[in-house]
Amino acid sequence: MKLDLSFIWTALLQLLTAIPTTLAVTGVSVVCGLAIGTVVALIRINRVPVLNAAAAAYVTFIRGTPMLTHLLLVYFGLPFVIDAICESFGWPFRSVSIPMIGFAYIAFSITAGAYLSEVVRSGLLAVDKGQIEAAYSVGMTTSQAIRRIVFPQAFAILLPNLSNSTISMLHGSTLVFTVSVVDINAKSQIIASSNWKFFEAYIAAAVLYWGLTFLIERVTAMAEKRFQMYNRGGVS
Amino acid sequence: MIKLSQIKKSYGRQEVLHGIDLTVGKGDVVAILGPSGSGKTTLLRCINYLERPSDGEITIDGFTVHCKRPTKADIHHLRKKSAMVFQQYNLFRHKTALENVMEGLVVVHKLPKEQARLRSVELLEKVGLGDKLDAYPSQLSGGQQQRVGIARALALGPKVILFDEPTSSLDPELVGEVLSVIRKIAKEGITMIIVTHEMSFAQDVASHVVFMDNGTIVEQGKPSELFQSPKEERTKQFLKRFAPESAYSI
Repeated sequence: MKLDLSFIWTALLQLLTAIPTTLAVTGVSVVCGLAIGTVVALIRINRVPVLNAAAAAYVTFIRGTPMLTHLLLVYFGLPFVIDAICESFGWPFRSVSIPMIGFAYIAFSITAGAYLSEVVRSGLLAVDKGQIEAAYSVGMTTSQAIRRIVFPQAFAILLPNLSNSTISMLHGSTLVFTVSVVDINAKSQIIASSNWKFFEAYIAAAVLYWGLTFLIERVTAMAEKRFQMYNRGGVS
Repeated sequence: MIKLSQIKKSYGRQEVLHGIDLTVGKGDVVAILGPSGSGKTTLLRCINYLERPSDGEITIDGFTVHCKRPTKADIHHLRKKSAMVFQQYNLFRHKTALENVMEGLVVVHKLPKEQARLRSVELLEKVGLGDKLDAYPSQLSGGQQQRVGIARALALGPKVILFDEPTSSLDPELVGEVLSVIRKIAKEGITMIIVTHEMSFAQDVASHVVFMDNGTIVEQGKPSELFQSPKEERTKQFLKRFAPESAYSI
């Protein structure tokens, strides 16, 4: 067997069409996950009765099970639930009209939410308690203090961890091939098997994933610079 | 103007404030002295509810909070009547000096931005930081940060400013610049309650001195009385360690 270098390039060009799918799955899961994670983190930090136990159970269950399992559970379980609900309310909607990628969005948002809740929680806990006390002392309400004082500082702190999670979700998004969504990885399999050039196709996929990861790293570095501007001085 | 009655505070089973009564008149400068662990900072923090008293009543400017069962609205309303200067400055780290002072005016008092800006610049100039408007706290010295903290408190136009050991984390060279700012605003007739270890400063600036020990007020009175002729044995013992005329430099 000889390595067909030029086919790597051919495969790479064909894989470009799958980038939007990969980015969509990663982006949606990280953005929704961040929203879920923030709510969960706030519930856990403030020890909201009842919800706190539910939030803790969610985090431990999701982190304790593989991402692929989440996807399969949602893919095979959610249609039953949706159809049952729609039927009982007499709505004409049925789960078959949900696109496959919708299940990936939902499943991976749930996955990312659990991991990101811990990321957000660590960021919130790292903000000095004196900051919220100062906010109270100038007469802010709790929600004003959290929105205007705590969140911006927590976000600057959690950026490196967020970048880490985003990269994990990018690489995890390869699992969507199991529910017949064609992302970069699935596309490389198709290209590989239809040309009998497996190694070349997978090299092309690897290069693409590396490139996207590099992009995430750069964007994070820029964001860090922007959001941690206030830390520039010598003394803290 | 400010009336604390029977303020009690417990951590678990341990009671750290045993029913404090204190009245502060308009324009008074009250210095609270006492050894570490006497409850003076806890008492001060109870006044704006950064600590929750377990019992008692707090009245500021005619608004009373019953500490047994305060509502969120009560606490919020009470906090708006005071401002605090912290031992660790607690400036908003992600905001510049100017933004720190403006924040309360814009967010809490809903002042238009331009107006808030003008007022904030004026106050920062007053505390001698007119040239540091755009500096972040991390770019300022401790003394400068604390002066921003004082400007932030002044901006709110509070009924009372609470100072929690405002110079305790400054190195000796920077203490003077902060004390002189406090002295300046004390002369303007703003009501202040200051927890401090700076005896000569208290003697000099305060109109009323309170000595606390073990969660109770041992003795209080005019500075001349309390410093020259303390009545209680515990006060005498505490003050003995400070030379009466010890000078601080400005």
